[in-house]
Amino acid sequence: MDHNISWIILGGLANIALVLLVAPFYQGILRKVTARIQSRQGPPLRQPYFDLLKLLGKEDLESGETPLMQRFACYLSLATVLTVASLVPMGFPSPINGAGDVILLIYLLTLSGICTLLAGLAAGSTFSLVGINREMMTMIALEPLFAITIVIGAIHTKSFRIDTVLNGSVYAAGFPLSGIIMLVVMLLSFQAFVQRVPFDISEAETEIMEGPLMEYSGPKLAIFKYSQMAKLVLFSSLFVALFVPWGTGLVFPLGWLLFWAKVMVLVLLVTLVAATHARYRIDQAIRYFAVLLFIALVALILASYGF
Amino acid sequence: MNSSLKLNQLKEKFGSAILRADLPNDNCLFVFVEPSVVKDICRYIFRDLDARYIISIGADDRPFSGRFLVAHDFAFDRDQLLCSILTHLPADNPKVDSISGEIPAANWAEREISDMVGIETVGHPYPKRLVLPDGWPDGVHPLRKDVPWNHVPEGFDEERAYKFDDPPAGCTVVPIGPFHPTLDEPAHFRLYVEGEMVRGCEYRGFMVHRGIEKLAESVLTYNDITMMAERICGICGCVHSVAYAQAVESAVAIKPPPRAEYMRTVMLEIERLHSHLLWVGLACHIVGFDTLFMQSWRIREPIMWIAEKITGNRKTYALCLIGGVRWDITPEVKTELRLVLYKLETEWHEVVAAVGKDKNIQKRTRGVGIADKNLVKNLGLVGPVARSAGVDLDCRRDHPYAAYRHVDFAVITEDGCDVWSRLMVRAKEVFESIRIIRQCLDKIEEGPLQSEIRDELPVGRLGLSSVEAPRGESHHFVITGENNRPRRWRVRAPTYQNLQAVPAMIKDQQLADMTISLGSIDPCFSCTDRLETIDMESGLTKVWTQDELFRLVRDRKG
Repeated sequence: MDHNISWIILGGLANIALVLLVAPFYQGILRKVTARIQSRQGPPLRQPYFDLLKLLGKEDLESGETPLMQRFACYLSLATVLTVASLVPMGFPSPINGAGDVILLIYLLTLSGICTLLAGLAAGSTFSLVGINREMMTMIALEPLFAITIVIGAIHTKSFRIDTVLNGSVYAAGFPLSGIIMLVVMLLSFQAFVQRVPFDISEAETEIMEGPLMEYSGPKLAIFKYSQMAKLVLFSSLFVALFVPWGTGLVFPLGWLLFWAKVMVLVLLVTLVAATHARYRIDQAIRYFAVLLFIALVALILASYGF
Repeated sequence: MNSSLKLNQLKEKFGSAILRADLPNDNCLFVFVEPSVVKDICRYIFRDLDARYIISIGADDRPFSGRFLVAHDFAFDRDQLLCSILTHLPADNPKVDSISGEIPAANWAEREISDMVGIETVGHPYPKRLVLPDGWPDGVHPLRKDVPWNHVPEGFDEERAYKFDDPPAGCTVVPIGPFHPTLDEPAHFRLYVEGEMVRGCEYRGFMVHRGIEKLAESVLTYNDITMMAERICGICGCVHSVAYAQAVESAVAIKPPPRAEYMRTVMLEIERLHSHLLWVGLACHIVGFDTLFMQSWRIREPIMWIAEKITGNRKTYALCLIGGVRWDITPEVKTELRLVLYKLETEWHEVVAAVGKDKNIQKRTRGVGIADKNLVKNLGLVGPVARSAGVDLDCRRDHPYAAYRHVDFAVITEDGCDVWSRLMVRAKEVFESIRIIRQCLDKIEEGPLQSEIRDELPVGRLGLSSVEAPRGESHHFVITGENNRPRRWRVRAPTYQNLQAVPAMIKDQQLADMTISLGSIDPCFSCTDRLETIDMESGLTKVWTQDELFRLVRDRKG
């Protein structure tokens, strides 16, 4: 038993280390590809690592209305993301299995949104308040989408255990209609989950000057940026685990490589969409999410009837 | 016969109140009237004769005539006529009836007259300080002739804060600026926001005054000012330089040689190309579409290079002198320019076709930042803002200057009144500019670049000139003077009028649309904030007080 627990903990830590290691790399790819689309040279792939190091080495300024909450918000943000990292399968079955049910995952992802709210409240400026206002509206629309996906997965695998749902995916046996519908819905809202253009509304640099993040600088900004980069990898991993699970059963290096290749494809897709779109207004985005939510509810009903 | 016809119309109506009239040429009319009829005659011209309001000018004429001078400039765009209504005011306690009640477009100009020249505009609906900084003492008017250009007034009160209006009930205040990522220059918009909806706004600008007009009237000489005028704006500088030179030329009846006129036209259109491509990029950046921002600037780059080849500089061409130009175009550069234009045309066709099909960008720009025909008329809006509301107005055709009467081009109009229409107007104008440059290259005549000026320029003459800048009409008013420099030089940049429409354009819109609505007029704050003798400091740094900063600046100068 002891042996088992230490393996679980080691596995979890390995996952965390892996996410921390590759997240800036994927960010680098995103920036490079964006640059090529825009006829620019773009920074080298290792640039995000340097950016983080540079920010971490800067003076740790306290600003905004409640500096303590500001600090807490960015730590919590990274902590939440890394906790999720230890629960998500990344080419292997998730290391912490039996550690809870999928509801935990939904809570954790909500928590990462709440970190943004805290950050905005801590800054206390008008722009950050506008930003968290938008963030809350987005969260209210997006959380149910994710919850429905997880619940459909749970229905198909007939279990709420986190490892079963994530390893089993929404399809479980065969190709249920509800699974396919959710694949499309999640693909259409994926840009919003990773907060990229056209759904970077709550930060919108040219409108509200990064909103909730406006008072962040130096190491705290680095931590927030790091957690955003990790989020991109994590949501991609979750997406792959839930919707494109094929091939994970292959022998060690192949299945593992295939997994990261699939994550890469998703990151490229995000990049492409971000580079070819203008930012939506919050009302336009909410209307868009509402349509997706309606479709997702239909999928949920279908799933409960076994389709 | 346009000018004499209009003069007769005015004489019929106002008879004896018209004291004197100057008709230097067929496209220019100066009418001197009694101060008591200024308001009536302006209303008659603006409403009944349907002229377009351009600007009001105040001048301290005491050293010459012993009186103050106020001028209201109007344009009869269909008759190719620029008209100025002038009146002299007594030297002590100068007052004139405000025309802003009848002509809302005169709001800023009249407040500027009060600030800078100290002429009271009686009955102004909103007589708040506009140009002078918050702490500037009352009663010191920098453009009066007895105030030296480097005067630092006693009693500058840095504690004195500008008093903003109270926000309407239920609204919170969202400050945009003085520093904001989408404002390239400092300006302050105090938005009244209810949820995500903007309910109103107050503007406080003029934060980067450089005292350019005062400097021109007291230090520089005629040909220095062409260079100074170019530095009014970093994007449409050549426009100001040409407009100033033409205003002086029209005042003293100098005609530049034909080759110089073609050179001016070519450079003005090159400037328009670079400015429109720049704007499309910025507008895309504002709505978060960075790919088109980058592509548009990439397409623009060869224009900058060819400008450098012709003038030695990517921007700020130093082209104009009174009566001519300084740069010539060689046959080799002509060929290269044609190639650049060809490449630009092909690439821009692709961009316009792609943008035209893009639903996403239309979603952010259609129905946003509405400025309809009524607003255009009342606030004297110009350029793409007017043309996007279906108002067929373009100084290149309506008040032809340089070589524009020899070339054939279309005036692009749209009728959406929104940001999308402005985008389309600018995108299509790029093709017209290319056409104009090509025709100029075909037609440009051999000959001198500079007409010979033997005598000193005559004193006390009036000159007007309107040049179609990329953002709209840029209007210059000049009174020639002694010591080889003008007595009064007034610049009206297009943004000066267009910016006044922004509060109306963003009212009852989403906060997210504010920046693109403002961006759609292609605001140029440095053009608007061109005069004054002191800089305001942001107060953002905590280490330096305003006083210390002033001292630092002044010590370094001394």
